[in-house]
Amino acid sequence: MDKQLELLQGTLDMLILKAVSLGPLHGYGILLRIQQISKDRLEIQQGSLYPALYRLEHQGWIASEWGESENKRKAKYYRLTAAGRRRLQTEAERWNRMADVIAGILGTSPEEV
Amino acid sequence: MSTLASRLRSWFRRTLGRPQLESEMETEIRFHVDAYTEDLERQGVSRSEAVRRARIEFGAIENTKEECREATGATLLENFLQDLRYGARSMRRAPGFTAVAVIALALGIGANAAIFSVVNAVLIRPLAYKDSDRLVTILNNGDGPVAVANYIDWRDQSQSFETMAAADYWSANLTGVDTPERLLGLKVTQNLLPMLGVQPLLGRLFVEGEDRVGAEHEVILSYKLWQRRFSSDPKIVGKTVLLDGNSYAIVGVMPRGFRFSPFWATRAEMWAPNAFGDRVYSRGNNSLRIFARLKDGVSLEQARAEIAGVTARLEHQFPGTNREVVVTPLKEKVVGKIETPLLVLLGAVGFVLLIACANVAHMLLAQATARQKEIAVRTALGARRFRMVRQFLTENLLLASLGGGVGLLLAIWGTRALVALSPANIPRLESVAIDGRVASFLLAVTGLTSVAFGLVPALQASAVNLSDTLKEGGRGASDGIRRNRLRSFLVASEFTLALILLIGAGLMIRSFLALRAVDPGFNPHNVLSMVVSVAGSKEAEPGRRAIFYRELLEKVRALPGVESAGGINHLPLAGDMWGWPFVIEGRPKPRPGESPSAVYRIATPGYLQAMRIPLLQGRDIAGADDVNAPGVVLINEEAARTYWPKENPIGKHIAFTNEPNPPVWLTVIGVTKDAKEGDWAVKPYPEVYLAAFQNREYLESMAGHFEYITLIARTSGDLGMLASTIKDTVWAIDRNLPVSEVITMDQVVDMANEQPRFEMLLLGVFAGVALVMAAVGMYGVMSYSISRRTHEIGIRVSLGASRSGILVLVLRQGLLLALAGSAVGIVGALLLARLMSKLLFGVPPTDPLTFVGVAVLMLIIALIASYIPARRATRVDPIVALRYE
Repeated sequence: MDKQLELLQGTLDMLILKAVSLGPLHGYGILLRIQQISKDRLEIQQGSLYPALYRLEHQGWIASEWGESENKRKAKYYRLTAAGRRRLQTEAERWNRMADVIAGILGTSPEEV
Repeated sequence: MSTLASRLRSWFRRTLGRPQLESEMETEIRFHVDAYTEDLERQGVSRSEAVRRARIEFGAIENTKEECREATGATLLENFLQDLRYGARSMRRAPGFTAVAVIALALGIGANAAIFSVVNAVLIRPLAYKDSDRLVTILNNGDGPVAVANYIDWRDQSQSFETMAAADYWSANLTGVDTPERLLGLKVTQNLLPMLGVQPLLGRLFVEGEDRVGAEHEVILSYKLWQRRFSSDPKIVGKTVLLDGNSYAIVGVMPRGFRFSPFWATRAEMWAPNAFGDRVYSRGNNSLRIFARLKDGVSLEQARAEIAGVTARLEHQFPGTNREVVVTPLKEKVVGKIETPLLVLLGAVGFVLLIACANVAHMLLAQATARQKEIAVRTALGARRFRMVRQFLTENLLLASLGGGVGLLLAIWGTRALVALSPANIPRLESVAIDGRVASFLLAVTGLTSVAFGLVPALQASAVNLSDTLKEGGRGASDGIRRNRLRSFLVASEFTLALILLIGAGLMIRSFLALRAVDPGFNPHNVLSMVVSVAGSKEAEPGRRAIFYRELLEKVRALPGVESAGGINHLPLAGDMWGWPFVIEGRPKPRPGESPSAVYRIATPGYLQAMRIPLLQGRDIAGADDVNAPGVVLINEEAARTYWPKENPIGKHIAFTNEPNPPVWLTVIGVTKDAKEGDWAVKPYPEVYLAAFQNREYLESMAGHFEYITLIARTSGDLGMLASTIKDTVWAIDRNLPVSEVITMDQVVDMANEQPRFEMLLLGVFAGVALVMAAVGMYGVMSYSISRRTHEIGIRVSLGASRSGILVLVLRQGLLLALAGSAVGIVGALLLARLMSKLLFGVPPTDPLTFVGVAVLMLIIALIASYIPARRATRVDPIVALRYE
């Protein structure tokens, strides 16, 4: 397995929003989905997921309700709220712009300065 | 838009919803870990390995939970409340510990609050006058009264004062009413009451010109007097009362809280204008006390300097009249004598609280050891140290608050007891109350206390060595030298503090015993005294007074049970004490200020007999010593020693005289034993007794202080019965004569020793509490230490150590601690004793008996406190002890 990348500061929230935007998930499910989408290239400290979830819920971007998991156990499911959807959009746009800028800077050759 | 109500609702929901949040968090995290474990198992990992990896990869669960709580907006307050709930739970789990700790803290905090409320009322709160810190007294000869002419010169020649006023002590008979009464008051210059800045409740203050002869028959009543004698009559102003037979118009009533009855006149309850008349020229008859208000911007030092200049000039002009004139802030004068004892008591209760803190601290340390596993587990699960310390501090605050709450109740009850117990001469005690300042003090003390007893245990407890603690199954090696040293330090310091307190109390007890052992020079048992005042009645007539006194004494002597009776102008210890200069015949004229002087009493025949004051030489005053007989005088031993050191004083002549009058010579006829005069603890001054029935001034003067007699009767019967029969005897002669100050001489002696008794009692109680607490602390530490050493003792016993060997081992540990504590305590006690030396009588501050006695007592207590657990140690069964893990 390739060496996993450590998550950049502040990006976990965005990844969670993205993960739940595809459908309601419980906490462990969110972890699995992020890992699945990232093809296991990101290292996520499992315990750090929950404070982020509680924070996002507290801010009103995701909502939670108790449901039943695939193996018939009680689990808490998170889904994206309307505010969360808008938030994800702006975050994603910002991230892309930022990535462009950074890439542009890093791609600059000496002659161009 | 959140209203207060909605904010409260949301806060309650979050706070009260907290248990639900906790359980949901728990479920959610468990689901995560279980799901991951199952996935790992599905990948072929063994069950146990899967569980292990799932736990590790999840990370610190406690930490996660904590961050989740914070993420949901759990505020400091909510954490605090959570800690409180947790703390309350742990306290409920250890009710014994909680009860002991709360009692110790309540005693400490309660005693502090009670004493502080007295200190607050007496020392801290300003006097109840306008800008009272600008008020001063000015007195002659350091502490004495001032002549009228001097007052007028000081007033007119100084610039530092906005107002300078004067007051004379005054007593007057209230007659023309059902029960005549002798009332005490002050005659004041017109400017005195306005200077204090207090408005009357009814009527007005005196106005200018009313302190002139002819206009002075007006009186202002205190609230209490108005209630007591005039049934709070709202239309009292304008009515008249008979005082000493003169009609006085009542012009005002002062408000309820107002008192102006300073130091030498503490029972004054009415005020009249002081008309000086001819006294404006007098520099000899010192009777005034001067009160003044400093001008704005003038400092006390400037005023003192100016008065020093003025009086130096006057002294030069009129030698001997303006010596040692002292300007003192009024408050200092009022509270001066009680300041040191109160501060000593405040220090004492501070010590008691410190001991209580030390006790609770090592109880917490012991408890922390028991809770080590809990702490280690929480730490392992990711609880941060700061969070743990906060948890402990919250628990401590809870404990201290409980202690403070119970302490407040104790303080309320305690201040009441204090006021009831306290000597009458403590000024301003009537205003003792739990006010805002006392409440803040209580809060501050409670908060500080929680830190004092809790910070170190909290820091220690939270600093656990994880692997050691968990490995050893809760019997951590960290319970090692460092913590033991701390515990030893605590118990040793308890002994230090308790020893200091006990020595303080011991000195007070010794001093009090020494005081009580003093021979008053008279026999106070079975003696009744009361004041019969003739002022304003027909008995005061010059021709009539002597006849009345003789008749009264005869009738009293004839009462059943009365063994002897006599009269005196001022009762020793309780009454006034005048000093009077005299000249001795044939001796050169003394320099001003150096003339012989003596306490001046006027006695009837029978007085010495009734008081059982022994006559050492010569004869007593007799019935025949009347106005027609040659003048006679009795002197006390001290006078004989001082003024006739090498001669026999009998037959010598002295005269009390104001030049230029020709001297009236009195012959010394006898020498009496020294009897107590004004102050119990003071060695008697030279004293003289003049014969009442030949003293024209005493028989004829219309000045208030000559118009009464203090009747003394010694009986074999009941004193209470005698009081009423004597009153009836007086009233059978004249219904209008007030009889007052009915008191037994035993009570007089008790009153004279009231303050030292009060100080001894309080210090004794505090020292006793401190001793018990120190003993409990020692016992606790020793039992704890032995329970921790059971294993070691088991090994020793199984290796053949004898039971007495074990006993010695344990006792030595206790004794060493007590010795170390006591050694430091002795040094502290020496410092305290120096501070207390002003309060001590007849016992040196370094009294070896007290120091050695208390030290021995402390060691005995230490031995007993360690003996009980030590005996338990000797009973250790090695088999059980070795298995004890």
